Amino acid sequence: MNNLGWLKSLVLFVIVFALQMTVADWLSFFDVAPDFVMIFIVAMAIRRGPTAGCFWGFIAGFTQDVYAPVEWLGANTIAMTVVGYAVGQLEERFLSLNLPAKVGVLGLGFFVSDMIYFAITGLSKDVVTNLFLTKSLPECIYTMLIGGIFFYLDLGSKKKKHA
Amino acid sequence: MLRAIRFIVDLFTQRHGIVAFVFFLALGLLMRQAPNTIRESIVSSAVSTLYFPAQRIVSAVGHYKAVALENEQLKEENARLRQETYHAREGLQELARLHTLVRFDDKWDFPIVTARVIGHNPGRFLTTMVINRGTEHGVKENMPVFSMNGLVGKISKAGISHSRVQLLVDPNLKLSVMDRRTRVVGFLESMDGVRLTALVPTHAGVHAGDTLVTSGLGGIFPKGIPVGTVKEVRKSDLDVMRQMEVSPFQDFSILEEVFVMEKEPDWIIKELLDE
Repeated sequence: MNNLGWLKSLVLFVIVFALQMTVADWLSFFDVAPDFVMIFIVAMAIRRGPTAGCFWGFIAGFTQDVYAPVEWLGANTIAMTVVGYAVGQLEERFLSLNLPAKVGVLGLGFFVSDMIYFAITGLSKDVVTNLFLTKSLPECIYTMLIGGIFFYLDLGSKKKKHA
Repeated sequence: MLRAIRFIVDLFTQRHGIVAFVFFLALGLLMRQAPNTIRESIVSSAVSTLYFPAQRIVSAVGHYKAVALENEQLKEENARLRQETYHAREGLQELARLHTLVRFDDKWDFPIVTARVIGHNPGRFLTTMVINRGTEHGVKENMPVFSMNGLVGKISKAGISHSRVQLLVDPNLKLSVMDRRTRVVGFLESMDGVRLTALVPTHAGVHAGDTLVTSGLGGIFPKGIPVGTVKEVRKSDLDVMRQMEVSPFQDFSILEEVFVMEKEPDWIIKELLDE
């Protein structure tokens, strides 16, 4: 990726975090909100490969960790680094770039990230079960829906360019 | 110099990014393994050098846009408040007489610092936020933070010009609360960083809809700050206790301004905290 590419990604990263802190709240139903940060990491990994995936996963995870309890520092960082790298690898080696595959990978990445996060923070089984059913599952579906729209628009713009 | 940067970039991108992955994962694991003091300094350094300035700029732009609208609203509010002040003055005189009668001595006579929220967790678990007031404004660690609606949390780290606020939903913050109706004292905490739960004795008869306020026990929060309402009462693992879900008065995700009460912990608590 050239310098302009990195700059574009940085601007996009800032926009995504601004969206997460504003639009995500407006779009929330019953405390269930989409995760724009996860969409960003998966999109970066799919588009730019595993190196960019794990780099932006690390940066995004660390940014979230800075505002989390100090005892949990590193949990988001590790979870999102792993997801960014894994999605990049999946895309590079196995997947075609069609829309359902992207949305599926987004959902999978969301779950993997949450599972790693829960495992690292050491929350009790009951709390994790409760969080999984009331937060992870509905937010994953919501994020896949929003992510699907983003990926669809992205593919649409690409097709137009090719045409 | 350019060649060195190119070499590092090439090193990171070779072998399908495995070098970059191992490097970033090792950094994350090192953070997990580091002692709390080092973690605290990592977070403080990141907030004060990178995130605080960036969020301050973003926050300032939004702030100036809102000032004109706020000015109009304040003018209207000022007119209304002038009317209310007259009635309030009479009420205060009556309250002073009543305080003397019942020897009420638990007043919140601490100075208040008004602060603006300039940063909060962009993730899905909101447990801390950053405000634009620090030690140079008189803010110190463990001072209570509240809003117009109720208790928000306490100062967990005070920088020179900014501070971190530990919200009520932070699993590391536990406080003593009291049911306003039955006066029974319980214990409030969040186990998952999302929901608030309180434990109170079974015999107390606390039920859904009751209001919880700070009890004043624990030495950090003064007595009587509204915390939230009891949403649902459940059986806990202990027969003698009831677990209840609490809905806080303040929605933490939409906080813009907060107040820091310049109350330092009681001396005995301060000694414990220092230890």
